[in-house]
Amino acid sequence: MEPLDLEQIISALRAGELRTAARLISRIENNDPELLPLLKKLYLLGGNTQVVGITGPPGAGKSTLVNQLVSSYRQNDKRVAVLAVDPSSPFSGGAILGDRVRMSRHDADPGVFIRSMASRGSLGGLANAAADTISLLDIMGWDLIIVETVGVGQNELEIMRHADTVVLIQTPESGDAVQAVKAGVLEIGDIFAVNKADHHDADKLAAAIADMVASKGLVEGWIPEVIKTEAVSGKGIDELMTHIGAHQNFLKDSTPAVRARNLQKVRFRVLDICKQNATRKLLEGQYASDIEPKLSAVVDRESDPYTVAAELID
Amino acid sequence: MSDDKNSAIESVKVKLSRTRTWGGMETENVYRPETGIDQEYEEKLGDPGQYPYTRGVSESGYRRKMWTLRNIVGYGAPEDTLEGIRSALAAGTAGINVVPDALTQQAVDPDHPAFGVEVGAEGCSIACARDMERLTQDIDITQSGVAYHYGMLAYAVSAAVATRRGISLDKMLGSSMPDFLSYSLSGWGQQVFPAAFAHKATLDCLEFSTQNSPYWAVAMPQAYDLRERGAPPWGEIAYGMAIVNRTMEDLVSRGLSVDEVAPSLAWVSTSDIDFFEEVAKFRAVRRVWARTMKERFGATNPRAMSIRMACHTAGKSLVYQQPLNNLSRVAIQSFAALCGGVQSLEACTFDEPICIPTPEARELATRTQQILAHEVGAARTIDPLGGSYYVEALTDEIESRALAMLADIEEKGIVEAIADGSLEKLMDEHNLTQEREMASKDRIMVGRNDFVPGEEEQPKRFTFDKENTRKHIARFIEMKKTRDNDLLQDKLRKLYLIAQGDDNFHQAMIDAFVADGTIGEVWGTVRMANGLSYDPFHVIESPFSFN
Amino acid sequence: MNDSANPQSGKIRCLLGMLGTDVHSKGIRTLAQLLRDAGIEVIYIGEHNTVPGMVRSIIVEDADVVGLSFLSSNYLDYCEQLRDEMRDAGASDTPVMVGGIIHQEDYEALGALGVSGIFGPGSTTQDVLDFLQQATGKTLN
Repeated sequence: MEPLDLEQIISALRAGELRTAARLISRIENNDPELLPLLKKLYLLGGNTQVVGITGPPGAGKSTLVNQLVSSYRQNDKRVAVLAVDPSSPFSGGAILGDRVRMSRHDADPGVFIRSMASRGSLGGLANAAADTISLLDIMGWDLIIVETVGVGQNELEIMRHADTVVLIQTPESGDAVQAVKAGVLEIGDIFAVNKADHHDADKLAAAIADMVASKGLVEGWIPEVIKTEAVSGKGIDELMTHIGAHQNFLKDSTPAVRARNLQKVRFRVLDICKQNATRKLLEGQYASDIEPKLSAVVDRESDPYTVAAELID
Repeated sequence: MSDDKNSAIESVKVKLSRTRTWGGMETENVYRPETGIDQEYEEKLGDPGQYPYTRGVSESGYRRKMWTLRNIVGYGAPEDTLEGIRSALAAGTAGINVVPDALTQQAVDPDHPAFGVEVGAEGCSIACARDMERLTQDIDITQSGVAYHYGMLAYAVSAAVATRRGISLDKMLGSSMPDFLSYSLSGWGQQVFPAAFAHKATLDCLEFSTQNSPYWAVAMPQAYDLRERGAPPWGEIAYGMAIVNRTMEDLVSRGLSVDEVAPSLAWVSTSDIDFFEEVAKFRAVRRVWARTMKERFGATNPRAMSIRMACHTAGKSLVYQQPLNNLSRVAIQSFAALCGGVQSLEACTFDEPICIPTPEARELATRTQQILAHEVGAARTIDPLGGSYYVEALTDEIESRALAMLADIEEKGIVEAIADGSLEKLMDEHNLTQEREMASKDRIMVGRNDFVPGEEEQPKRFTFDKENTRKHIARFIEMKKTRDNDLLQDKLRKLYLIAQGDDNFHQAMIDAFVADGTIGEVWGTVRMANGLSYDPFHVIESPFSFN
Repeated sequence: MNDSANPQSGKIRCLLGMLGTDVHSKGIRTLAQLLRDAGIEVIYIGEHNTVPGMVRSIIVEDADVVGLSFLSSNYLDYCEQLRDEMRDAGASDTPVMVGGIIHQEDYEALGALGVSGIFGPGSTTQDVLDFLQQATGKTLN
């Protein structure tokens, strides 16, 4: 493979070349190590676009809400990229990535870029692929990047750490609030959207979330709002946009709280890379000749797993 | 034919490939009178014409009134379909069902820039009142009604035609299928037809037509499409009743009574290939309906408690390979529908899986029904399988599965469960299971996954001259230029304002059609008033402004 | 799990959808599930797509292959529109397969329009899987 011409790629991305971007995302998903120089460069050039993570339980109306949100941003002449992550089947490794169905009105719009990604279930792999894809979209000059994922499983939730602003969607149906508390996902929300606002329990849920949020004492300077939305009709979407904008302003101030938040984000980013590197070495056999004798020694009780682990990651 | 092939056919052995019904219920080798049919006769069956109508809605059965033998027609321009109607009537068809093309079904105009190739391709293009006038020019709509095989705007356009002919709406005959929730669930998708919007459209249509056109029949629920999309016989009842119950509840809260609305309704059913299971299904539908209307909604009018059924045999049961086999399939399915006591029947043509019906195939479909009527004795005696230990057991089992499934759906709410995709997922899983059973030959369809014929002659396909369709599109574009656009703008603005609120917008739609509005324009206006895009496909914008 | 470095490897990403107003999506939805269960990543775009919308989706998703289902009779017209749009968008190198009610007498015409996989009545899931591997040069699992 030819070495990457970084300058050429970056100018192609800046010019909005879809094919270049789309193919690079595939290579990112496939963990192509050749991309490393590009990914490093993209990181250094990045950080210009607000990344909004949107998550919630299955059936909460995420795609419909994202669809409406994109429409509203388009009405304000904002160009939007969406990364929609769906779980892979743990049995076959395949996936049905169906988020485009409810966003199909934007398919032909040059001001919208929607990319689907399967979680692929590998340790740290998804989080890294998502983070690198975000860096790539960042360079393309979209006004906003939305990352949407179903809020089940650690794997999917880890992606939310790469978002600047996390919108957590809950619905009054099927006891979401209780589930959310149990799973600890309430901690990650910067904005809460109670979707299906016409449901008779919507007010109750909104009040319950507001209570829980208040009792947590979250990041200084930002009090998470709880708003009510109706993804199907678009009710509450403008309010959601307003709060997303307000959160972006909050992040612009270099307060100690924001700094701490960014440090934490990077801490997890580095950890994800470590995890993935270790995974590759150990499980995907990329350094097999190196590691196999050491593992053999552990099997024979001539060495111990701590020692081998320490050699892998110092 | 070679000798080898002859001997292979003569010496063929048959063994049982499956003990479960086609829908998936396990069956016994033999059924005995352990269910106590005789003791429970009054409660569970009743005589035909008696609550709970399990055995039939009329005490005189087919002796007094035969089923309506229907034939579906629809292709090209209205003029083309008119030709088809004339030849079907000449062949002895009693009722005409007009199938519109996909654009008409979804209220998309024939000059839409993205879909021009589809105009008239799978049905008749009926885009404005003038088109329907051309189609029904032979028909006195106060004497015989056309059954429109779609819901979207069929009633409103018909009412506009009546108005233009000076006929009062309460004299109008005909029927349409405005069960928009079922469409929303069976392939139209939430992006084109959101469930809550679909539900409101159904309520408005039912409210208006039952109050203004008492002789206009409403095909509801459209359970045929639900079965075709992916549901077992009990699913037909569960989905269908979930839609009916919600619709009734909301109509009652608008001040209508079930006694007033329910008599206008007809259940649109299918008849799949498992003869006994389908007979049981028809019987179970009537029983569940009767009990629901009486016990849940307090109906007192027997006509509200006894549901009439319109049946179209199952298109999905037919096989592309060796298509003449479909004649056998359709004959059995039609027989099941008659043993099940339906009020009208459309027998699929044998070439249904190949193309829209050829005239030859249409004639044979009519002949099938005539053979059943005159030779087989299908019409002689009401509920001929009533009292069969097997069929009674199947009827009970289908009913109890249907009620369990219905309870699950109603826990979330039918509109909500369609909107969030959970019912669609259930249907996908049903289809996947069937496909897996086909792959493992646990389920055999002759010619498709077993006994596959060798080289076959290509089946004959229906073709027609597209010249009329081209002229129809040109005429449509010309009409839009020459009509009174100021008058139409005024009518559409009124429609827009009314459709924004909670009031019924049907009279305003009819007025717009009288003023030569098109289906795309009228429905697009209603969509915009409900916060949706004018064009569900986001290609064109409204040429009208409502501010 | 294949996470190796070669960009030719990785999962097969197959975009499935329908064009026009045909609502008979039962078949393609079932196929989507069968392909998922065979380890393929299906980008499912549903029914009711326009040709330009579908082509842009193919590009943005970097689909390895595209699958269309038709139960209506106008598949030749739509495949021609798709071929033209893909050519104009520089996406002609993405293989296209069609399924549904496709008549044998049209196979040649479809081939001339650049359709390389045709799955009419009687086709099996295995036929589709074989085609996907051959057309993408990627293997399953």
